[in-house]
Amino acid sequence: MTQEQAALQLEEERFWVYKRKLRDFWRLYRRSSLGKVGLVIVLSFVTVALAAPWIAPYDPFTFVGDPFLKPSSAHILGTDQVGRDIFSRVIYGTRISLLIGLVASTMTIALGSLIGLISGYLGGRVDNVLMRITDLFIILPTLPLMLIMASILGKGIQNIIIVITVISWTATARMVRSQTMSLKERPFTEASRAIGSTDLHTIARHIVPNVFPLVFANGMIAIVDAILAEAGLSFLGFGDPSQASWGMVLHFADIAGATVNGYWWYIVPPGICIMLLVMGFAFISYSTDQILNPRLRRR
Amino acid sequence: MRDYLIKRGASALVTLALAIILTFFLFRIMPGDPTRTVVGDFRVTPEVRQMLVHQFGLDQPIWVQFVLYIRNLFMGNLGVSFQYRGTPVTSIIFGRRLFNTFILMGSSIGVALIIGIIVGTVAAWKRESRFDISTVVFSLVTYSMPVFWLGMLIILVFGYYLGAIPIAGTMTVGMTYSNVFEYAADYLHHMTGPFVTLTLSFVGFYFLIMRDSILDVFTEDYMLTAKAKGLGDRKILFRHAMRNATLPMVSLLAVEVTYLFGGATMTETVFSWYGIGRLIYEAVVMADYPVLQGIFVVMAVAVITANFCADIVYAFLDPRIRY
Repeated sequence: MTQEQAALQLEEERFWVYKRKLRDFWRLYRRSSLGKVGLVIVLSFVTVALAAPWIAPYDPFTFVGDPFLKPSSAHILGTDQVGRDIFSRVIYGTRISLLIGLVASTMTIALGSLIGLISGYLGGRVDNVLMRITDLFIILPTLPLMLIMASILGKGIQNIIIVITVISWTATARMVRSQTMSLKERPFTEASRAIGSTDLHTIARHIVPNVFPLVFANGMIAIVDAILAEAGLSFLGFGDPSQASWGMVLHFADIAGATVNGYWWYIVPPGICIMLLVMGFAFISYSTDQILNPRLRRR
Repeated sequence: MRDYLIKRGASALVTLALAIILTFFLFRIMPGDPTRTVVGDFRVTPEVRQMLVHQFGLDQPIWVQFVLYIRNLFMGNLGVSFQYRGTPVTSIIFGRRLFNTFILMGSSIGVALIIGIIVGTVAAWKRESRFDISTVVFSLVTYSMPVFWLGMLIILVFGYYLGAIPIAGTMTVGMTYSNVFEYAADYLHHMTGPFVTLTLSFVGFYFLIMRDSILDVFTEDYMLTAKAKGLGDRKILFRHAMRNATLPMVSLLAVEVTYLFGGATMTETVFSWYGIGRLIYEAVVMADYPVLQGIFVVMAVAVITANFCADIVYAFLDPRIRY
């Protein structure tokens, strides 16, 4: 067998291992009813987001009726203070919340993993410095820091994503660091180093695949936090007013005095959407954690 | 123990120094002229401005400014507010607002903590029972609600429809009180809405952590010992498991000190609660940077101190962790 063939065979074995692991994961996951509910909720929202132009009866950004119309057959959830259809705005809001949730959490775990890997693998002084910075970010008050950053950067979706990423990478970094530190001492990474692999190769081949499951579980919680953070920032008026995110709809509801005037149709639906979507991801994260986190497996 | 104290103390001081450096530079990367963000606001009179330029060395190089900033900090001088036309930041923070925030946050965190610990213990004991599953689902649901929306719902239902709670503020405007009890009653009545909102928003998180912690304790050898000694379920649960599982809550509580000093911006804004949380929001909107910087420093000092105390308490409660 040539070296090439051997490498190819190794590749194939690796593929089967991954496939089996994935199947095992799915088998365990299917048993969790919370996990299934979560998956159904999230997939429904993804469908709504993709099909928004066909579901929404009106253009969410233009004035389609008198202001403050009550719910009727023409406007299921009435209209807002400038006469935009609230139902259409809530439908389109799904897009922004999902987009920000997914992008911000991906960036969060990417940044967190990078810092965690560097810190855990290199150790020593680099680790010390990085962990001090992590401590600082963990300790500093989250929301005020977000507000300050948001006001420095200005309004806009990309800025909200940056703010969320910069504030929330710490949890992933800590977790990846401790995993990396323990993986670094295992025989297979030592063997990899012993045969002369570069650090980069060892990290990419032996450490990353082993940390990935936990990072994935962490990513689900990062999505939850990102969606809630976007809603909060937009509600307080730091979102992009030209976009119809759920938090933005609630921001306009608050300006219109929806609570003290009893416009329940303006307040309840966007909040329920945030809650359901977050719950969907929280359920998925909860069940994934039960499977992937060895500490939580049935005792 | 002494080494441990010194090590923890040193690391707390380093974090504190980093936090102070960060706040100094954070408010100097604000767009525009750096001196503007510190004093050059049109809402401040020229005389006060002159005094501040001198006090904070704003006509001097940045490292001199930094030294003066630190010096002023140690003397308790955090500069003056823009939106309140030159009122010292310290007197804005340490006053009525901090009191209101302390009362609101202290009571809601306290109640949520007690409920979380007790219910978490029972749920873990009856793992996978109907009680356990329903409490887990309940906590995930409350965790999923944006706190400002929960507040809006409470105002809508209990304020608008039922008329049971006031919708804003800390007391009835224009009301005169014949004695202190009447005042307290009115105050507490106004606090109901934000209190319930915050308690609900905290309790799920505490519950999940406590439940997890108890499940962890159940795997310890001393639980088996307790069972082998023939102790009753109740005694094992509350005497042995709960006491040990409450330990992680100590360090959690240290982090929650941020709320005690910083308030809850969302809830305080929704209910127009006259506290620090709303002050943060107003300061951001009004670009009142000195106030923001002041709150930030106060919060950082409080949290870092609390964490240090938690480390010490932890070491006393659990001798195993003195490394």
